[in-house]
Amino acid sequence: MKQETIIQISALRKHFPVKNLWGTDIALVKALDGVDLSISEGKTFGIVGESGCGKTTLMRTLLRLVEPTSGSVVLSEKLTGGQFSSNNLEELKKNELRKFRRQIGVVFQDPMGALNPRMLIKDIVGEPLAIHGQTENIRDRVIELLNNVGLGNEHLYRYPHEFSGGQRQRIVIARALALDPKILVLDEPTSALDVSVQARILNLLNDLQAKFNLTYIFISHDLSVIEYMCDRLAVMYLGKVVEEADTEALFSNPQHPYTKALLSATPNFDKDRKKIMILGDVPSPIAYLDESKAKLATEMTEQERLEIEAIEGKGIDYIVRSSLNKVLPLTKISANHYARV
Amino acid sequence: MLEIKNLKTQFNTYDGVVEALNGVDLTIEDGEIFGLVGETGCGKSVTCYSVLKLLPKTAEVVDGEIVLNGENITHASESRLREIRGGEIGIIFQDPLSALNPVMTINEQIGEVLTLHQKKEVNALASEKEIPVYKSEKWKASSGVEFMITAFSVFFIGLFTILGQFSLGLPFIALIAAMFLRDQMQKDLPESALDLMVIEALSRVKLPNPRQIAKSYPHELSGGMQQRVMIAMALAGKAKMLIADEPTTALDVTIQAQILQLIKDIQKEEQMSVLLITHDLGVVAETCEKVAVMYKGKIVEESSVDEIFTNPQHDYTKSLLNAIPKGGKERLQVSGIGDHESI
Repeated sequence: MKQETIIQISALRKHFPVKNLWGTDIALVKALDGVDLSISEGKTFGIVGESGCGKTTLMRTLLRLVEPTSGSVVLSEKLTGGQFSSNNLEELKKNELRKFRRQIGVVFQDPMGALNPRMLIKDIVGEPLAIHGQTENIRDRVIELLNNVGLGNEHLYRYPHEFSGGQRQRIVIARALALDPKILVLDEPTSALDVSVQARILNLLNDLQAKFNLTYIFISHDLSVIEYMCDRLAVMYLGKVVEEADTEALFSNPQHPYTKALLSATPNFDKDRKKIMILGDVPSPIAYLDESKAKLATEMTEQERLEIEAIEGKGIDYIVRSSLNKVLPLTKISANHYARV
Repeated sequence: MLEIKNLKTQFNTYDGVVEALNGVDLTIEDGEIFGLVGETGCGKSVTCYSVLKLLPKTAEVVDGEIVLNGENITHASESRLREIRGGEIGIIFQDPLSALNPVMTINEQIGEVLTLHQKKEVNALASEKEIPVYKSEKWKASSGVEFMITAFSVFFIGLFTILGQFSLGLPFIALIAAMFLRDQMQKDLPESALDLMVIEALSRVKLPNPRQIAKSYPHELSGGMQQRVMIAMALAGKAKMLIADEPTTALDVTIQAQILQLIKDIQKEEQMSVLLITHDLGVVAETCEKVAVMYKGKIVEESSVDEIFTNPQHDYTKSLLNAIPKGGKERLQVSGIGDHESI
């Protein structure tokens, strides 16, 4: 079966300016720095990375909640339904953008933070329907949505605090599905949950994908979950995609040193595997416009030096973060495996 | 080192009594890393709070014994407990930012532990090096009061200037100038013994530029650094046992690996016992030697780490291991465990 691309992202950049007291730009936060991705229909696309690497900004640019600095997001015919003036996300008009956002549902990390504690479940799940004017049979539709995620009409008249974490996440998923989206963005949907509850949610997500032919964009830092869920995945570091490949290819044959280290950093039962530690702290994504300050990022920090001292002679491999900060071009490794080597 | 026998802790709520711990038996030997795993609400944290008597007022230990180094501390007095907390058992919490005081510098916070538990050592260091024990800054109030005085002075200067009575603001200008001069004069005071001990504590956890970090506030540090500060603080009282309550849950995997490595290194160097509480079985496999699985306020299984992953005995442990995604694409098994029913 040929995979159809549903969203094509090319050279997407989002730079937030850092201003000084007088309002002149002194630096840029390079939240996204040239991201190229193509997301295929009906598949799960994973995005992995540490905090501050630009995962969330990428998600927000996809919904055009923030305007990208440069680059383009091209939507497929299926997503637009041929009713918009353009296939390019940037050129959509305001009312078209509203229609487009229906096609993407979002599930956030913390379900309690995503649900209004003063609203009943029926109102929470029905709210997107009401906003988009689909008010006919709203109650039946809400019950249908709740049934989809394994809840029932006995839950209609309850408040979010009466549910457990797993159930709350189900409610968030039900709400995200309310407008029949084609894409579901899952931003760390299980990291606040226990393993057993996580397993149930992951099973549910797989069922829903099969039932509604959904495309998932799955953001997580838990590699075991990513490996289980995703068909293809991209590893992000400091606003760049350092490696992109099919899950199997990436897990069996990681190319970039950062990917290798990330794979080995995940706690795991296999004690004999080779361990690569990443030393140093997550670097700041701020790029100073002043050249003399810009150089600092690639120099080894004091923290890294201390950690190398501590680790030496223990038979642990390591890479140093400052060595990762160099910019390398994305190269093709095999048919659909790209990495900055 | 630490022995817990048949510990029962109850919470009195409006809906009745909640038996959070239902007879917990644990033995932690000298110099071992012991893992305690379980899901939310199974009583992991209550166990460690019961040991240190950090429970809320609604909770009480109704039965059981806690023996620390041969001493029964189940009914220890509050003053003895104060010695134990930090002095004999150090503790690290899950979220370093909420465990650290946001309005105190790192120096003040670690200094507090040292003055409580290491007074003799600090005094000894002071007399040996012939330096003061505390930094003797004169004419100085606490930083909050200092800030308020400055803020009010600036406000009045502005107010009087707007009202055209600039001369009335002059005393406030003089006050600010005096405060500035005082700080300038006392800038180069020699480091006190306490400062040196704090710096030593910070360098033990491999923090760079400990002098600079000691002066900073918690929000200025990254998550990994904050957790390192927490570990430094837990170790500052020369505790022989460390309780780590989900120390890496709030951190990225790469930083998690660093922190776990640090805990392992320190445990080896100091021959400490560590009780590592976590919900992540992977973390246990990486760090611990022995592990206990908790479920509904009881220990359901206890064995060595290799044993529990290769040959789990209890049904709950088996289903917990099955629920973890492991590479393959087959459906995850969730029988036997699930959304936690209320106890």
